[in-house]
Amino acid sequence: MSDFWFEFVEITQTVGDGLLFGATYALIGIGFTLIFGAMGKLNMTYAGASLAGAYAGLAAFTFVNAPALVVFLVSALASGFIGFVVYVACFRFIPVNNHLAALMASIGALFFIDEIVIHATDGSPLTFPAMFEYVMFDLGPYGIRGDLLFVFVVCVVSTAGLVYVLYRSRLGLATRAVSQQDVAARLCGIDVHRTNAITFVLAGLLGGIAGSMTAAAVGVLSPLVTIPLTVKGLIVTVIGGLGSIPGAIVAGLLVGGLENVFLYFRGVNERDMYVLLLLFVFLVFRPHGISGTAIDRD
Amino acid sequence: MAYYLGLVQLIGIHTLLGLSAYVLMLTGQLSLGQAGFFAIGAYSAGILTVIFELPVLPALLAGALIAAFFAFLVGFPALRVKGLMLVVATIAFSEFVRLFFFNLSWRVPRGDISVGPDSTNGFREIRYFVANGWSAFEITAFVWIFVILVMALLWWADRSRAGAVLRAVGEDELAAQSVGINLTAVKVAAMTAGGFIAGIGGALYAHTATYIDHLTFTVLLATFAIAYPILGGLSSVFGTLVAVIFIQGVLVEGLRFLGDWRNIVFGLLIIAAMNLKPSGLFDAPTARMLKRAVGLDGRG
Amino acid sequence: MENSTRSGTSIRAMTFASVAAAALAVTLTAFAQPALAETERTVKIAGWGAKSGPLRSFGVNSEAVLTAAVQAINDAGGVKLGDGTMAKMELTYYDSACNADQAISVARKVESQTEALIGIGPTCSGAAAAMYGIFQKTVGDASDTGLQFPILTDTAIRPGLAKKSQWTFRNVPNEIAMYDALFEWLRTQYPDAETIYGGTETDQAHSRLTFALVIVPMAKKHGFEWVGGGIEGVTGKVGEGRENVMEASKSSNWLMADTNFSVQARAFKKSGADMMIISSHPFTTCGMLKEMKRQRINPKVLVGLTSSSSAETLKGCSDAAEGMYIPTGFAPITEAAAQVAALAEANGGSADLHSAAAWENAHIIKQVVEATGVMAKPDTLVADRRKVRDGLEALANVDGLMGAIGRVQDEGESIKPYVFVQADAGSWTVVHDPR
Repeated sequence: MSDFWFEFVEITQTVGDGLLFGATYALIGIGFTLIFGAMGKLNMTYAGASLAGAYAGLAAFTFVNAPALVVFLVSALASGFIGFVVYVACFRFIPVNNHLAALMASIGALFFIDEIVIHATDGSPLTFPAMFEYVMFDLGPYGIRGDLLFVFVVCVVSTAGLVYVLYRSRLGLATRAVSQQDVAARLCGIDVHRTNAITFVLAGLLGGIAGSMTAAAVGVLSPLVTIPLTVKGLIVTVIGGLGSIPGAIVAGLLVGGLENVFLYFRGVNERDMYVLLLLFVFLVFRPHGISGTAIDRD
Repeated sequence: MAYYLGLVQLIGIHTLLGLSAYVLMLTGQLSLGQAGFFAIGAYSAGILTVIFELPVLPALLAGALIAAFFAFLVGFPALRVKGLMLVVATIAFSEFVRLFFFNLSWRVPRGDISVGPDSTNGFREIRYFVANGWSAFEITAFVWIFVILVMALLWWADRSRAGAVLRAVGEDELAAQSVGINLTAVKVAAMTAGGFIAGIGGALYAHTATYIDHLTFTVLLATFAIAYPILGGLSSVFGTLVAVIFIQGVLVEGLRFLGDWRNIVFGLLIIAAMNLKPSGLFDAPTARMLKRAVGLDGRG
Repeated sequence: MENSTRSGTSIRAMTFASVAAAALAVTLTAFAQPALAETERTVKIAGWGAKSGPLRSFGVNSEAVLTAAVQAINDAGGVKLGDGTMAKMELTYYDSACNADQAISVARKVESQTEALIGIGPTCSGAAAAMYGIFQKTVGDASDTGLQFPILTDTAIRPGLAKKSQWTFRNVPNEIAMYDALFEWLRTQYPDAETIYGGTETDQAHSRLTFALVIVPMAKKHGFEWVGGGIEGVTGKVGEGRENVMEASKSSNWLMADTNFSVQARAFKKSGADMMIISSHPFTTCGMLKEMKRQRINPKVLVGLTSSSSAETLKGCSDAAEGMYIPTGFAPITEAAAQVAALAEANGGSADLHSAAAWENAHIIKQVVEATGVMAKPDTLVADRRKVRDGLEALANVDGLMGAIGRVQDEGESIKPYVFVQADAGSWTVVHDPR
């Protein structure tokens, strides 16, 4: 095998791994974007709540030895429930036009949820179950991780499910109506609070899947991941274009793939600097993100 | 006594950090990047006193100016983005700064050891105060001279036309523009002033802590920077001070007896405060009430 | 919400005012110091570490072991003071997270607001590096206004910290000696192993420094070569060629909160090294080990960082860690060590190379207090603290859980006995005991 061919395989494999892993970033990005689209607000708790959901799933694994699929399901449900609680605690009763107070309350909730998890686990890394954990598909010179493939498929399916709910059901119609024109929606008899709460639950369900998929892909879960995942989720949201679900998907995969390329060529110390530069490039040359139709409001 | 003075120093430094975000918030800009300017001030001033062996005052002013310069540069592209976009852009900036210092290694020999920033190993030996025999009281006074100066200046500016202009931009950009306010100048000026104030805070922090590393300047610190003005309210500079005392004095230090439950209570209290007083602990009605209580009631 | 009434607002304000008043009252009580009327003399010690934040387990373990140690000392009669009185030892433990400000704040609080004779902590090396900086550098230097209060750290392990001040001491494992001996032993066990490769978490100073300053140089000293060269500057002497090591491992390192290790593991695989080194804390050690298992990388020898020889690694990935060698300063192999492990468990923590030092520290303090004639009266506090410091300085040898601990006098550090452990079916098994 020539050097060039070897290098080519290495790079494509690197990009491929990153793309598969990027699916989890995409899910987190979708969650941020969904809530922003609905309320025009930033829910800083989101990534932390997603991981907390994964911890609830892990509890099912630890205490009743539930199979991996049940663990993922419990994660999603728990995170959906947390989403509802966060809505009530941080958004429902704070005046609609007070963005700062809602933002700050959600930061308080992030601290709270994170610290609860830390208390429950002493912050130790814990084994997280995965599907097809040590399966490796060999395709010629390439190896594809079975578990990541599964993660990728789950991400695609749950995104498709979300899009179906948003665009094909009455519920979705209400959600979209509120996100586009909440006064008009109210006049049409849509209960804005109820719709917002449902958006939070939906985003939460998705977050629980993202959290458990991230944990499954690493194989270990630790509260260390919360802040980096929050930052990465926000970057994906902005690169994708605020409020755009397709944008968040593309941006998640893009960040996942490129981050591996930066790592491969420049080493880990500079990797994240290039990801941030990528964001700056978007902000300067394409401030509305990939989708180009971002909702422009503060 | 040293403990209380240390706490008072910390409150002063965090007040500067909070005020740097406060200035921006008046113009309606929310920045989660103040930790970046704080880091620039801390590293620059530390390098000046340790490597170039400058006295602390010029080092501090230079550190603040360097931070202000970067804030000025950030100000222009930041004009293009608003709201959440600006939040994320500023997070990205401050993370970039943190990663820069994470990679920075600049060591010079000093006697039998070497000093200066040492990437992950951190920047030790920023011991200007103790090495020159400053007492805890003198350090505290030094810190608070800057806090009082900055607060007085902002308070005065708030009463003058400058404050009205800042707030006008924060309330309604379009209206402000239509009465002839130059948005670019106002926003960039606010960003620069915020950078300068954060830079002073960072420079003071580096010298009171004697050690900094990149992990000091994470998003968490930036979160605190905006938490102070939001919790305190934007009605006056005193709100930020009240919030710093509330968080650093009451929640972090005062609740220490709660042991490891303290951090859980911490999050809950922030949620409660925002639900009960969404415009801040020190909002306009509270300020009026207090004034009435001490017999200073004017027109409110 | 828009039409909330005036009365609604005032109820809100009142609720808030009462919450605020209650918080203030509680705080004032907390700040108020108990009256200094002592009925009984006690030897007070203070401990602090991370009991909140992602590194909480360190603080929990440390507190559990310290509590057990103080209990054991008191059960055996307590500590003998300078005038022959037997006094009880009393511990107060504080949470300082993994945070420099909080570690400094607790140090100041303990020094000025309590009668503690000595402090044990903090957890994180970064916090320790900052905290040590506020202490007086040279004892008796009146122009240096740093704190004058002795510290005997149990956990923060980053090389070479305690030298910062003559008031700060540590009782942490000496990684240089440990890895030196480990590679010497591995040389005899695996005579045909020639090459090494490895990675570290570069934003964690302890992992990174130990990797570049200690592990790789010690491996080279015992005849292991980095795959493909690149560490020529490394001479086997600690610290030399550190940049070469970081450059050679550029594409195989990660950060402490990373979740994707595919690129790094492929670099490991490509190297084909006989011996692979993972210098990292449990979370990323597990992430990396799992990825290596997926990519079916099976080196002849796997070496880990001292800090990963704990229960955390086994909780995270006992299957993937199978076979990994780590040198450690604690294993429940002596009777005393086994007893401490059991007591720690009973107090809700676990004894490992970090927390076990807390047990030794409590006993070292007892020994020092008895040797220097500490009086433990309110008016002898300053003198007592000085005595404890001088006593620590003068220590040449103390009994540790694993055998005698030597003290490096002018550096404030320990030379502790150690053993080599290997992950074996979900537990750490001692495979070699050089004591």
